[in-house]
Amino acid sequence: MTETILEVISLKKTFTADKPSLIFGGKERLVHAIDGIDFTLARGEVLALVGESGCGKSTLALTLMGLEKPSGGRILFDGKEVTTFNNAGLKEYRKRIQMIFQDPYESLNPTQSIEEIVTEPLLVHGLGRNKEERRRLAIRALEDSGLKPAEVYLERFPHQLSGGQRQRVVIAGALVLEPRLLLADEPVSMLDVSIRAEIINLLAELRQSRQISVIFITHDLGTVGYFADRIAVMYLGRIVEIGPTHEILEFPGHPYTKALLSVIPVPNPRLRRKRIILKGETPNPIDIPSGCRFHPRCPVAVEACRVTDPTFVNVSKNHLVACLSVSPA
Amino acid sequence: MAISVTLETLPAKRTPFQNFWRTFRKNKMGVIGLVFLVLIILVAIFAPWIAPYDPYSSVGISAKDVYQPPSPEHPLGTDDAGKDELSLFVYGSRVSLTVGFFASFIAIAIGGSVGISAGYFGGRTETILMRFNDIMLVIPDLALMVVIIALTKPSLWNIILVIGLLGWTFTSRIVRSQTLAVKSKKYVLRARAIGAGSWHIVNNHILPLVLPLLVVNAVLVISISILNESALSFLGLGDPTLISWGQMLNYAFARGAMSSGAWWALVVPGFGIVWVVLALTLLGQGLEQVFNPRLETHHLTARKKTSFPEPAVPSGRPQLSPPPLLTVRNLSIEYKISENSAARAVDNVSLTLRKGEMLGLVGESGCGKTTLMLGLLRLLPAAGSIVGGSIDFDGHDLISLSDAEMMDVRWKGISIIFQGAMNALNPVRTVGDQVAEAIKQHDSNISGDAMASQVAELLDLVGIAPERKDDFPHQYSGGMRQRAMIAMALACDPQIVIADEPTTALDVMIQAQILELLSSLRERLGLSIILVTHDLGVVAEMCDSVLVMYGGVLAEYASVDQVYNSPQHPYTRELLKAFPNLANPEKKLSSIPGYPPRLDNLPAGCRFAPRCTLAIERCELELPEIKEISEKHYVGCHLLDVS
Repeated sequence: MTETILEVISLKKTFTADKPSLIFGGKERLVHAIDGIDFTLARGEVLALVGESGCGKSTLALTLMGLEKPSGGRILFDGKEVTTFNNAGLKEYRKRIQMIFQDPYESLNPTQSIEEIVTEPLLVHGLGRNKEERRRLAIRALEDSGLKPAEVYLERFPHQLSGGQRQRVVIAGALVLEPRLLLADEPVSMLDVSIRAEIINLLAELRQSRQISVIFITHDLGTVGYFADRIAVMYLGRIVEIGPTHEILEFPGHPYTKALLSVIPVPNPRLRRKRIILKGETPNPIDIPSGCRFHPRCPVAVEACRVTDPTFVNVSKNHLVACLSVSPA
Repeated sequence: MAISVTLETLPAKRTPFQNFWRTFRKNKMGVIGLVFLVLIILVAIFAPWIAPYDPYSSVGISAKDVYQPPSPEHPLGTDDAGKDELSLFVYGSRVSLTVGFFASFIAIAIGGSVGISAGYFGGRTETILMRFNDIMLVIPDLALMVVIIALTKPSLWNIILVIGLLGWTFTSRIVRSQTLAVKSKKYVLRARAIGAGSWHIVNNHILPLVLPLLVVNAVLVISISILNESALSFLGLGDPTLISWGQMLNYAFARGAMSSGAWWALVVPGFGIVWVVLALTLLGQGLEQVFNPRLETHHLTARKKTSFPEPAVPSGRPQLSPPPLLTVRNLSIEYKISENSAARAVDNVSLTLRKGEMLGLVGESGCGKTTLMLGLLRLLPAAGSIVGGSIDFDGHDLISLSDAEMMDVRWKGISIIFQGAMNALNPVRTVGDQVAEAIKQHDSNISGDAMASQVAELLDLVGIAPERKDDFPHQYSGGMRQRAMIAMALACDPQIVIADEPTTALDVMIQAQILELLSSLRERLGLSIILVTHDLGVVAEMCDSVLVMYGGVLAEYASVDQVYNSPQHPYTRELLKAFPNLANPEKKLSSIPGYPPRLDNLPAGCRFAPRCTLAIERCELELPEIKEISEKHYVGCHLLDVS
């Protein structure tokens, strides 16, 4: 059995949208950004979290990082409860779990040189005895991120690099701490198609060579097929389907997954297919629909879906679907 | 993709100061201000050597010296005590500048700390600090200063302290808003994710970006402090044992300089104050120009009249029937970079578009796609110009049309949905209003009722419920705003719609909805559409033909089927391999090593040669000619001659 690195148990995060006014009264309204999420992640495993904007995937990332406090549930990292960490514990935890952000143009400070950016995490955590050693570690991280020879880049500034190079710098800044888990939040959606592959291949290599676990957050099922071991599809703060990548891509169980798969453009005009285009957009997470939260947009919803909130059923050993229309294997 | 003439700073090594000086000296007024300031500082430092008399001693002064007009002995005359005005002026600069610098140092230190703390910590800290700030701001500074100084001993340091302690309110507000802006940046979040504490983040990420603002602001606070000191001294609240310009004015005013006609006693100190304030204001403006990149003049300068070389039309251009709606032949567009160099952003591109056809324009960022589209509409920025070729739209040569005639073609003939346009809706006007405005632009005589029904019809056409016309843009989702933009593009019944990356930054499902909409509009209205995108999948699903651009030139142009199933240009093949294909998910994605060429530094031969794995010697020497290799399949590649 592979070693579990992260375990998330019925995690919840709510934000207050409206507070009752002292004078006018009124009801407190809550945004249910994450509404009960469970999953586990093994060492060296890549899990793709897929969903549209507003499904809570970015809130989930920030909560996992300890940057947002969960409203309920537990996060276990290496068996230790993250939610009870004090500041020192959190700092130590953030050495083990690192994040890569969506926009490499925004996530680098324009006034810092690449060397400053990559050695900053070492300084923050008091690693590396002196400047030379930190520089050496930075060079290694940059080269592992595919910026060779790294010496050329050290004195440059972010605006002198292309989008792909910047994203590599962001990755180097995360690697330099030798984390065990990388949280990649839409790391390629801002990049040109020709460069996306580079970054994804780089992450795949790192996972091979360093046994890093990766949570890859994206709205595009198309990019994860190459890379993820498992896919979790999120809708309105919950996982509606989770399973091995090839099973999800070949035998999607949930109508939402099916729709997401059907709209991925296929680069072959001879294979134009019937697309399932859902009406409307993800509803507001303040008023979550009754019953199955997907029923108002679901093309196959029946009366029961309005009433009953479906629970996970196993369609195969590791493939879970939360839909009333799916019967267990 | 903005117009991609990226002019990066040169790699040559310069210290930050050298960089600063290079930009700063371009601002003539700033340099003048600096020179003025340095002069007066030198005067203050070398006062004992410059002043002809010692104004602190009254040795050798008699009654006849009082209010003497300028004379060779006293070039600026004398004051009410018979002292030499020039010497007073020179010594007075010492006090005025000391007060200015020290008081503003205090003010900036307090204002900076308050602003950064309020902006960074937010919440209760911010509420308390900013409310206190507001209270300080409403109290008239000078009145409060007068009260405080009157209650304490009027010494130089008291004056400095009072001016400094009351002069920070303005700075803290500006610093707070800058801090808020920096704090929301992703790299601050990244630093938190690394595990950095507040102290580290403020020092390493906030301060460097707030500092320029502090410097510019300091210069202004110095001049305000000097004015305040003068005002206090003028009101008789200065240190009576010291000479300052304000003190000089005070004495002159109080002791009858006006009635004695001794204008020099007022003009001399007044001149000093004006001199310093002017110097600091000019300097502040110059510094702001350096530190605030938005104010920096653009690298690109406007180009004057364009001369047209005769377009060389090669034989074998597409012969289509019925005649195409739009025919572009050998279009070339340049951006002027400096006086005598230009970057060729589009070189020799030809294409045709029939009625109802959907053409995909594909390429990486910075390959000239957007420039080509702006060129079609003659909407190029000032530095860009069409330098060759022809654009024929429905029988009109668009290049030779007058500006007024071209206005008519835009929107009524060809309309464009700009990239990211959904974020360009005016936030304070309703969506219906903005759609109506687009209609009015080209049909100003339309009646109110007709307008209302037309707006409703357009919104309905793009799938927005007409009753939502009175909503504001922020009440719409991203997908809805994009639909509204499409409605505006359709407002004048155009024949061609150019959609520049219409689905970038939208979720997959919304993307699919928008593409579906464009597809149905094409069928229902017989629209021709040019879809600019870097997403090959979208093109395969939607388009009839594809034009692949690279480095400003046409790489391959053919029907969708030909491009996808028998791509000929190595670049097209690489692009296809880099695209994830769910139909075949086991295959590893490949990427194209290297980067597209910069438009101001294009390779001599084939633009793709530096990244092409198949390149031969000839590829690096000459740009390949565009050949029609089979019917309506155009490719520009030397390898076609080899095989």
